[in-house]
Amino acid sequence: MSDDTPATPENDEAEAAARPEEPSKSAGAEEPAEAEVKEPAAAPAPKSGATSGADPKPGAPAKAAAFELGTLLDFPAAIGWRDHAVGGLLALAYVAWLVATARSLGFPRDEGFYFHAASDYARWFDLLLKHPADAMQKGAIDGPWSQNHEHPALMKSLFGLSWMFLHQRLGLFSDASTAFRLPGMAMGGLSLWVTYLFGARAFSRPAGLVAAALLGLMPRVFFHAHLACFDVPIMTMWLVSVYVYWRATQEPTLGFVVAAGVTYGLALETKHNAWILPAVFVAHAVVVQGRSASRHLRAGRVQVPATLLSVAILGPLVFVALWPWLWSDTGSRIQEYMAFHLNHEYYNIEYLGKNYFGPPSPPSYAPVLVLATVPAITILLFSIGAADRLKVISARLVAWLRPSSGAASAAAGPDARARDRAETDVLLFLSFAAPLAVFFLPKTPIFGGTKHWFPAYPFLAIFAGRGFDMVARAARARLAGWDPPRLRLVPIALGAVIVLAPLAETIHSHPFGLSAYTPLVGGTAGGADLGLNRQFWGFTTESVAPFLATAPRGSSVFIHDTAWDSWARMQAEGRIRSDLRPVGSPSDAAYALVHHELHMQEVDCGIWMAYGTVAPAYVLRHDGVPIVSVYRRP
Amino acid sequence: MGLENTREKVAKWAFVLVPLAALVELAAHATQVQSAATDADWAAARAAAQPLIHPDDLVVFAPRWTDPIGRASFGDALTGVAREASADETRFPRAIEVSTRGAHAPELASWRKADEKRAGPFTITTLENPSYARTLDDLVAHLGEGRAQAALIDGSGGVTPCPWSDGGGAQSGGLGFGPAVPNAKFGCRAVFAGVTVLTDLEYRSRRCIFAPPPGGPAALRITFKDVAFGQVLHGHHGLYVEAERGKEGTPVYLAFSAREKRIAKIAHVDGDGWKGFELPTGDLAGQTADLVAEITSGSNNRRLYCFEAITR
Repeated sequence: MSDDTPATPENDEAEAAARPEEPSKSAGAEEPAEAEVKEPAAAPAPKSGATSGADPKPGAPAKAAAFELGTLLDFPAAIGWRDHAVGGLLALAYVAWLVATARSLGFPRDEGFYFHAASDYARWFDLLLKHPADAMQKGAIDGPWSQNHEHPALMKSLFGLSWMFLHQRLGLFSDASTAFRLPGMAMGGLSLWVTYLFGARAFSRPAGLVAAALLGLMPRVFFHAHLACFDVPIMTMWLVSVYVYWRATQEPTLGFVVAAGVTYGLALETKHNAWILPAVFVAHAVVVQGRSASRHLRAGRVQVPATLLSVAILGPLVFVALWPWLWSDTGSRIQEYMAFHLNHEYYNIEYLGKNYFGPPSPPSYAPVLVLATVPAITILLFSIGAADRLKVISARLVAWLRPSSGAASAAAGPDARARDRAETDVLLFLSFAAPLAVFFLPKTPIFGGTKHWFPAYPFLAIFAGRGFDMVARAARARLAGWDPPRLRLVPIALGAVIVLAPLAETIHSHPFGLSAYTPLVGGTAGGADLGLNRQFWGFTTESVAPFLATAPRGSSVFIHDTAWDSWARMQAEGRIRSDLRPVGSPSDAAYALVHHELHMQEVDCGIWMAYGTVAPAYVLRHDGVPIVSVYRRP
Repeated sequence: MGLENTREKVAKWAFVLVPLAALVELAAHATQVQSAATDADWAAARAAAQPLIHPDDLVVFAPRWTDPIGRASFGDALTGVAREASADETRFPRAIEVSTRGAHAPELASWRKADEKRAGPFTITTLENPSYARTLDDLVAHLGEGRAQAALIDGSGGVTPCPWSDGGGAQSGGLGFGPAVPNAKFGCRAVFAGVTVLTDLEYRSRRCIFAPPPGGPAALRITFKDVAFGQVLHGHHGLYVEAERGKEGTPVYLAFSAREKRIAKIAHVDGDGWKGFELPTGDLAGQTADLVAEITSGSNNRRLYCFEAITR
C-alpha cells in the first residue's frame, strides 16, 4: 500500500570532517540517551575559511555550523531535551508576557462570542464529568454545541475548560477573561517553541532562536496571541502540522506517521485555514517522491506516502471526534459549516484610502500589509535567508533538469539530493506561500487584517533565522582575528541588536496592535497617512474607560462596534464602570463612541445630527492618530 | 584588479548593513513615536488659527485623519456641521487649512496661498478661492416651516401635504443605519424631507436634504418659497454609501421647476457618488420665485437619497 521510505539525510562529509568529535547522526533525530552521546567539550571555533563558504544542510543535525552558541552552553550536536527546554522557556516567557499585559487589552467582538460559547461548552464538560450518560444524549449535546458552530470546537473547548478549572474552581486567575484567553496564549508560546525547534533542526540553533524571537516580536502576532480567538492557534497548528509531517517524512516511523494525521486533525479542529494544508503536503510529496511514484504508476502500482494517508484518514476522524456538534447529522452539518465559510459575508476594510467590501483583494494587499506590519529587520533577514534557500533550490532544480551540467551540480553542492531528501526548503517555501496565495485568488475578498495569513509567519521567521545565520557567519569570518571569547559574543551581540527594534515596536504597539504600523511606513501615523485600516472588532473601548469614569452615574453609552458580551465582560471584571448602561443607538445615549475606521464615518455623522455637535469630548489617540472618539450629549 | 579588490572588501563588510538597518529601524521608531502632536500643540494651533477664521471661511484639517482631533480641539464654534460637511469647497471665499506632517487638502490644491504661519508641528495656511461666486440662496437653509412646503404626489396626481414637525435632535444608529433621520422635517406616511448629514460613496460627510423618493409613479414634491435666483442652480445629489455601492438600486430623478417651467430633470444612478450639477437659470436671474423639486424613483428600496443646491 505504502512505500513511504524517504532516506534520512546523511551527514555532510565536509562538515563531519571538520568536526570529527561529533557523533554521526541522522537529520533531526532526537537526542539519544545522554550516556550515548560523546559531547565535544568546548569545541574549538572553526576557522573562518572552513565555514564561511559551507552550505548548511537543511534538515541536517543542528550542528553549530558557523558559530557555537550551542557550544557555549554545552549543547550536543543533536537536537534533544535541552532544545525542548529552550523552546519551553521561550514559550513560558512569552505566555508570562502575554498574561502580564492582558488586562490592558479590551475584548474584541469575536472574543465576546467565544467567551459565551466556551462557557456553554464548559458546562457540557461538567455534565460529562458528573453524568456521562446524560451528557451523551443528543439534546444535551446539541444545546451547547450549536452555539457558534461556524467554528470548530478545539479552542473554544480549551477556553471553556481553562475558565472552568483555572478561574471558577481553582481561582488561579481572578479575571475570567484571562482564564478564557490562556489556551490562546499557550498556543502563542507553543508557536515559538516549535519555530525554535524547526529552525534549529533545519538550519542551526541560533537560526531557530532568532526565528522564534522574531515571530514573537511581530506586533500583530503579539496582539492576537492575547486573545481567546483562533488566529494564533491556527498559525501554531499549521506550524505544528508541517513540523510533524516533516519529521514523519524524515523518519517515517509509525509514531510520526500517526502523529502527522492527528496533528492535522487538530489543525482542522482549530480553524478552517487548515483546509489549505493538504495542498502543501501533496505538492511537497510530489517533489519528494514524484519520480518514484511515477515509476510505480508505470508499473501499475499506486504509491501514496503513509504520511499523506494518515493526514487524509486520521485528520477528518480527529476533526469529527473532537467536535460534538458533528456527532449527529454529520454530513449535513459539515456541509453547513463549509457553506458558512464559502459564502461568508464581506467585511469593510480600508486599504490605501479606499474601502473594500467584496472580492477580489487587490493583489498588493497582502505584500504591502506584510511590509507595513512586520518589522523591517525581520523582512530583511527573511529576504537574505529566503534568497539563499531559493538559490540552492534553483541550483538543484537545474542540476536535476540537466544532470550533465557541472556548474549547476557544483552550485547545488556535493550529493545535494542525498543531503536533504525531505526537501526541507521546498516544504518551508510551500508552507510560507500557501496562506498568502489565497489572497491572490480572484474570489477572495479582504476579510480583515493580517491575521488571515498568520500561518505564513513562522516560516517567514525561520527564513529570517537562516538569514541571521548567514549574517552572523559573515561577521565571524570577517572578525576571525578576534580572540575566541570575544568572537563568540559576536552572534549574541548581533542577535541582540536585531531584536531591539521589533521588541520596541511590539511593546509600544500594545494595546493598539491593530492600529500600529512599522517604521518602514512611518509608524501608526504613517499607516493613517497611507489609508491603512485603523482597527476592527471594537476592542479599544476599554482604553476610553478612564474618560468614561467621569460620566455621571448610570449614564447610557452607545458602544458602537463593541459586542454586548464584550462590554458585559469588561464591566464584570471592573475594567469599565459597572453602572454605565450600554445602548445600541447614539440617539438613546448620553455618551457615544466611534471606533475610527473609514466606513464608520456614518456613525460620526449620525452623532453630529443626534447631538448637534461635531466636537468629540475626548479623542483616544495612539501616536497622535485618532482611535476612538467619545461624544457627550450637550 | 582594483575594482575587484574593492568589491571583495565591500562584500566582506556587507554584513554590517544588517545591524545598521536594525539600528536605523529602531531610531526611526523612536523618532516617529516622539513626533505625535500633543494636546498643547493642538491648543497652540487653535490659538494661532482662531483670529484668522472669518464666519464664512472653510476650516480644514490635513491630513484628513486628524479631523476628529481638530474638531475636539477647535470646538463647534470654529468647525461645525456647515464646515465639516460642506457640499463642496467652491462656496467658500477662503479656507483656513490646519496641517501637519506636510499634508495638504487636495481639494484646495488650486487655491491661492494668502498667508502661512507655523504653530508647533502645525502649519496654518490661509487660502483664497480663485473662482469664488457669491451664494444668493441655499436650499438647505431654506428647508423649514414657512420657507418651504412638501407633499406626496401619488400616481394619479393626488396631493397629500406633508406637515412640518420639529422634535429636535435626530434618530441615528450604528453601522448600516444610514443617514440620521432628522426630527425637524416635513413628513407624511413613509415619506419625509429634512436636513441631515450623508456619508457619500467616498465616505465624505455631506450636509443635504434627506428626501427618499416614495417609489413607483409617486413623487415627493418640495416647494422652496421665494428663492433668490441667479445665473445657475449649483448643487449635488447622492445616496448613502451602502445604498448605492452595490449598484443594484433604481435611478433616482430630481426635477427642478419654477414658474410652471421645468429647469431640468437630472438622474442619479448608483455608483455616481456625490454627483454635482449646475443648471442654468439665467432667465430667472435677479428674480425671486418658488422653486419646486420633485424626487422620483422606480422603487423606494434603500433609496436613501439626499440633495442640496444653491443659487449663484
